[in-house]
Amino acid sequence: MEISSLDRSHAGTRIERRYGQKVRAFRRYLPVYLFILPGMALFGLWTLYPLLDAFVMSFFNWNPNPVAQSPFVGLQNYLEAFSDPVFWQAFRNVVFYTAVTVAGQIILGLAVALLLNRKLFALGFFRVLYYLPVVTSWVVVSLVFAFLFSSSDGPVDWFLGDVLHLIPDTQSWLGSTTLALPTLMILGIWKGIGWNMVIFLAGLQSIPNELYEAARVDGANRWTLFHAITLPLLRPTITFAVVILTMGGFGSFIPMFVLTQGGPLHSTETLLTYAFSNAFSSFDFGYAAAITYIFAFVVFLLALIQIRLMRRKIEY
Amino acid sequence: MQTPISRRRFLERSAQLALAGSAAGSFLAACGNTTTSSSSTKTTITFWNAYNVTDPENQTLLTKVIPAFQQKYPNIVVKSQNIPYNSLLQKLIATVAGGAGPDVVRSDIIWMPQLAKIGALVPTDDIVAQRKSEFYPGPLATCAYKGKYYGLPLDTNTRVMFYGKKLLSEVGASQPPTTTEEFQALSAKISALNKNFYGYAEGGLDAWNILPWIWSFGGAVTNDDYTAATGYINSPQSVAALEYLVNLYKTRALAPNLLGGSSYSPDDEFGKGHVGFILEGPWEPPTLQQTYSSLQYAMALVPAGPGGSSISVVGGEDIAVMSSSKNIDAATTFMQFMTSEAAQVPLGEVGQMPVLTSLTNDSRMPAYFSAFAQQLQTAKPRPVTPNYTKIDTILTNAFNLAFRGQASAQAALNSAAQQIDPLLSA
Amino acid sequence: MYATLETAKARSKQGLSPWMIVGRVLLYLVLMAGALIMLSPFAYMLSMSFNPNGYTLPSPGDVIPAHPTLNNYISAWTDANFGQAFFNSVIVACSATALTVLLSASLAFAFARYDFPGRNILFYGMLATMTVPGIVLIIPQFVLASRLGLVNNRLGLILVYAAGMAFGVYMLRGFFEEIPQELFDAAAIDGSGIFRTFWSIALPLARPALAAVIIFSFAANWEEFTWAIVSTNDSSLYTLPVAIQQYYSAHGPAWGVIFAGSVLAMLPEVLVFLIFQRHFISGIRAGGVRG
Repeated sequence: MEISSLDRSHAGTRIERRYGQKVRAFRRYLPVYLFILPGMALFGLWTLYPLLDAFVMSFFNWNPNPVAQSPFVGLQNYLEAFSDPVFWQAFRNVVFYTAVTVAGQIILGLAVALLLNRKLFALGFFRVLYYLPVVTSWVVVSLVFAFLFSSSDGPVDWFLGDVLHLIPDTQSWLGSTTLALPTLMILGIWKGIGWNMVIFLAGLQSIPNELYEAARVDGANRWTLFHAITLPLLRPTITFAVVILTMGGFGSFIPMFVLTQGGPLHSTETLLTYAFSNAFSSFDFGYAAAITYIFAFVVFLLALIQIRLMRRKIEY
Repeated sequence: MQTPISRRRFLERSAQLALAGSAAGSFLAACGNTTTSSSSTKTTITFWNAYNVTDPENQTLLTKVIPAFQQKYPNIVVKSQNIPYNSLLQKLIATVAGGAGPDVVRSDIIWMPQLAKIGALVPTDDIVAQRKSEFYPGPLATCAYKGKYYGLPLDTNTRVMFYGKKLLSEVGASQPPTTTEEFQALSAKISALNKNFYGYAEGGLDAWNILPWIWSFGGAVTNDDYTAATGYINSPQSVAALEYLVNLYKTRALAPNLLGGSSYSPDDEFGKGHVGFILEGPWEPPTLQQTYSSLQYAMALVPAGPGGSSISVVGGEDIAVMSSSKNIDAATTFMQFMTSEAAQVPLGEVGQMPVLTSLTNDSRMPAYFSAFAQQLQTAKPRPVTPNYTKIDTILTNAFNLAFRGQASAQAALNSAAQQIDPLLSA
Repeated sequence: MYATLETAKARSKQGLSPWMIVGRVLLYLVLMAGALIMLSPFAYMLSMSFNPNGYTLPSPGDVIPAHPTLNNYISAWTDANFGQAFFNSVIVACSATALTVLLSASLAFAFARYDFPGRNILFYGMLATMTVPGIVLIIPQFVLASRLGLVNNRLGLILVYAAGMAFGVYMLRGFFEEIPQELFDAAAIDGSGIFRTFWSIALPLARPALAAVIIFSFAANWEEFTWAIVSTNDSSLYTLPVAIQQYYSAHGPAWGVIFAGSVLAMLPEVLVFLIFQRHFISGIRAGGVRG
């Protein structure tokens, strides 16, 4: 029954041939399809179906009760989002938070990686120490920071106020509209430094030593070495980190949810906390779905742009 | 490049995998729990509430009330589930959407219209028609939505002024304050006693915290039929009340924790004798007894504002059967039991004020209930509307703006009125 | 200029110059200072967990408690039910990780070495969904999971967590692409199909890359919070993150018990990291960081 691919002389019209080839290919790869079926089925069911469902939901004034009526409202939820000041506040918060935490993590992570990138006595020890916050759950670190930045008797308050006398007594951190988001940013940066350090260490170690040697022979100093060799060759690593961290930053949810619920006065509201509260406190599921779709669109676009940048080749 | 897998091998392999998978699946499922089981004789119903495991009310529920119920109805097993208050509404909604969830729930009265609107609750018009006279009218009104009743009242409460006797005598007062002027004067004096002392402490800036003051000044949130907010929440009296509180905060008579981000606990500080006044509910005396038994304190009506009278806020819970329940009859039976004397009395003994008129002045109820009963005579409910949770957020934001100095009290309340008006017509 | 470099090199061959020693010492100091700052939150966490007063330290400057006690741990394990939550987390995280690793390795293997129709669409489609955080879909997922009976039980959690296999697929595909064809040709001659080839050749070869996937996957499954809290109502089924947060929500700043539970929550994740970390870095380099 198998027709060898060389035997084209017996093939019929072009369309029949293409169809025949496709069927043959399907048959030949049937075991492969079956092999990937469990994984793809789980993934498809869990990701694709809800993706479509949420999309549909966003065009309705969706009543969570399956028995009840859900009136169709077209683009109203989306228009409402664009004219909602809290939506824009959440958007600004998330952009600001992501920008600061991504920059902070990368700079500090790179700095530590550079320091550790040599034959150090306790290299492994330091690596573990700096990585510890990364392997700790977000819930735990959020609560630790709630304690640290507690305004009545927290260590940070005590250190900056009673010891260094930099701030007035009982400065409120998570309760302040101006300081709450920066406090969460510190949390985000602190948690991510170790991950960046590891990524950059891997990247640094893949730069051939000969390049440095050759440059040193040519009389290059430390800064030139860094500037002309290290940074450019780290570009793919940096871009990778930026893409991943940006996606993570935009999707921030747990610290805000656990600590401030988006407050005070929406100063720590992110797009996801706002969608969550619209769905589960106000029962506005359609509106929440619209918000998450706008959010997903933005993140997807950003990721595309950043991945584009990653494609550029480096000459050396 | 690759030879096709033999049919027989493939069938063998997939059979193996399927068997392993289902074995694993049933093992894991057995480890998990299911919420309802239906065998021919016994029905299990789940009851969600926001008690903490260690609360005296929870202990009474588990050791007295539920066993009494199961003695009377041996075929119904009740599983009580404690869900923290802050998550309870979210989880109720999630279960409505998903079709799984509790059979009966002890819901805050402010959620009832919202839940009724989406059809999450089973109507109780027939039960109410029969039992109407048994309940206080105020709590019963919280079960009404658009002319129908859902659920039944379970317990009621309000906030009264607790005052520490020692602190009061230290500032030379022999009587608790009855007006807001006196309250301010005494609070300022108490705060001046010590860097860590405050005259008055509140837990936050929610409607629950602030509304007693607004009402006692003669202000309001909306008109009586909950259709308009402009002219009420931003009336001169409401503004005066908010300005009064902001002033207390600025002069350190009111503790700064209410802005958030702090571990400061007003109730604990009151128990330790660091705070002169708190507004609290009938659950507080048993708790104070448990942790701060040496504290000398008493209760009085909340202070009356200039030209106003002492008006506090009504709280409480209703008990309702979820429409997604698979055991509506058993659940209704439990609901009826919880609103009968057999359950109301033991829970009343640990601070859950009963809603049955038959228990007024009952000698089994704690003596301190009288203070709350008196306050309840004039207490007002928060706006009864499906959009209440949104309104609460708007009010909290307005209060925040005023306290943080980002807007004047008048401007903040004007803006709140503007935002609340459209929500009231839902 | 040339001469100085020569002499510097010559000198370094003889031993350490004084500048180098100073430089080294400074380096260690800076690293230690950095590590101390990074770890101070954990220091306070540990301190409060052993503190007899579960709410405040005697003074924020006293990081080491004067009278350490295990009461908070006992309370956490029993009263707060963190012991039960710990077991739930172990069961769920281990099972889900095993399943994720298996599924993502199988998909990555197929994507890497078999050029079947639709391969690219499926792979890049999968990658595309990675840009969107899971929380976005939580409402329809909840509805779907409820209809399938996957809420409020451990099996449901395991399956849902295993569905997050996209990252593993991404990491492992690069690795599988690099394997020389000869290793597979032997299997082809043998007549083994894709299942056999995967199980007996590809998987064993992939150990270092799998280690990286195990670390990430276990960490994600152990820490997962948002889905768990939406889908689990039975407090006896709570995983640790949910149990801790619910306790905080109900009891406020009871830091002693909360941090005792947090220490419990940290231990397994740190342990898994320590065990697998050797392969971790090489796994990253082999699989992910190139794109």
